[in-house]
Amino acid sequence: MTAILRNESAKLLRGALLLTGLFALLSAFFLAVFPGFAEEAAIIEEAFPPLLVGLLGFEELHTIEGFVGGYLYSIIWVLLTGIYFAYVSAGLIVEDIRTRRMDLTLSNPVSRESVVLQKVAALWVPLVALNVALFAVLFVGVTVIGETLDPVTLAMVHLLSIPYLLVCAGIGLVLSVTLDRVETAQTAALGFVFLLWLVEGVSTLDPDVEWIGALTPRRYFDPSAILVHEEYALGDAGILLGAFLVLLGIATVVFVRRDI
Amino acid sequence: MPAIQIADLTKRYGDITANDGVTFDVESGEIFGYLGPNGAGKTTTIRLLLGLINPTSGTANVLGADIRDRRALTATKADVGYLPDDLGFEERLTGRQALEYFARMRGDERRDELLELFNPPLDRRIETYSHGNKRMLGIVQAFMHDPDLVIMDEPTAGLDPLKQDRLYAFLEEEAGTGTTVFFSSHVLSEVQRICDRVGIIREGALVALEDIDVLLTQSGKDVWVHLAEPVDEERFVTPAMIDVEIVDRTARFTYTGEYNALLAHLVQFDIENIEIGDPQLDDIFKHYYGDDDPAEDHGDDGPAGER
Repeated sequence: MTAILRNESAKLLRGALLLTGLFALLSAFFLAVFPGFAEEAAIIEEAFPPLLVGLLGFEELHTIEGFVGGYLYSIIWVLLTGIYFAYVSAGLIVEDIRTRRMDLTLSNPVSRESVVLQKVAALWVPLVALNVALFAVLFVGVTVIGETLDPVTLAMVHLLSIPYLLVCAGIGLVLSVTLDRVETAQTAALGFVFLLWLVEGVSTLDPDVEWIGALTPRRYFDPSAILVHEEYALGDAGILLGAFLVLLGIATVVFVRRDI
Repeated sequence: MPAIQIADLTKRYGDITANDGVTFDVESGEIFGYLGPNGAGKTTTIRLLLGLINPTSGTANVLGADIRDRRALTATKADVGYLPDDLGFEERLTGRQALEYFARMRGDERRDELLELFNPPLDRRIETYSHGNKRMLGIVQAFMHDPDLVIMDEPTAGLDPLKQDRLYAFLEEEAGTGTTVFFSSHVLSEVQRICDRVGIIREGALVALEDIDVLLTQSGKDVWVHLAEPVDEERFVTPAMIDVEIVDRTARFTYTGEYNALLAHLVQFDIENIEIGDPQLDDIFKHYYGDDDPAEDHGDDGPAGER
């Protein structure tokens, strides 16, 4: 039974492609300024307030690895893409309930569990589109500006980011089955993921509160560490994957029991 | 076995009781009309039957599946058709794509035959559809998998009279081949026209459950007489007459007594013209609801209402 998966995938396609184009442009812009930026990187690193350095997690900004990991991935991938997945997922269920589409969907011999799983599975569309496109743009772009990035390391960034993005999606999904309005769910998801991102960044500034950051997904995905130090934190990815499954489980249980 | 068995079904939202101990059966192969004004709780019952909302207490069986048993109810839906009052189609799809979508989940062996009767513009996006076209698409999806039971919520809303007639004829044909039809309506004439039995719901509670013929018999006769002289109200009106309206030489009333007594009474007057007929269900309805206007009495979109 894949009718819902097919339908949802088609629905996500346009938005995913649009965002992919946008991010590709943004990445190209970031890369274009790198050569000039690298020369003054040391001064810039000095000049940046420590708060901002901590927030974005800069490291070795004058190298292409540090620049891509600390700047480009930290903003485009961890923050913006995370928000996108939370936002899209937050609309998955509640929108269908509000528009009464769910009534018709559930008049078919399909269980509510299956509805949730197929809808979440449809996230493969933006997941694949964004990963493939950004990888390609970066790999080609870096070569064009005369630098080199190890494609394996770059691929690992993308691979290990998937559990992170799924957790963001899980947060949106839980909000989607608990809140009654599309706008509320999506705004809450967007705000919540941004807040988590911010909390982790701020928590690294003070050892006393650093533990708080361990409760946010960003702590378990560090593009800089992967690109600069080639540290592949598989355990952390496992934690994120586990968190996603827990969120998915909660969302399913809530959705199966609730009134529509 | 009855197609639908409803036993003491109750649904409360806080202080509001949308369905209050509703109990009745719908037999296989019958056309059952579920009647009540907007906000009476018709849609609540239907959404309970489909498992979209959970009962506060009581239960129901749909084609043998208990609505509290999600797995059984899900499996049963392969044999159930549903036409909601508010048609939530995927608007960006064309009619054809929407039917494909439903066909993948439950089959469409009767699609072509239905599209000859109800013909929405299949190659246009649903967002451009009129109410009537959406309703037709809804009818096709509700019947295309040849269900044993079809549950319809205000099925004729938005349909033009020709298509309404076509739907009535089609429903009668379907019931003739054993399909059970359960539909809600606040349009009394359509219920009168095609239903075998009706249940009347008011403020969440079932207030009447009758064969349509019995309901009409019990509700007396609608009588209109035109006399040669102005009507002498004191002499003319008997206790068996209700809803009496007298204008000069004309009297109109609902007669609830013995027919012989009525005729014996009427021969005392010089009658120029007379009509005796079945009352409209609207009039019967008024008796169950009393004189107050139910729409004012119980807001159209009140929370006890159609959700």
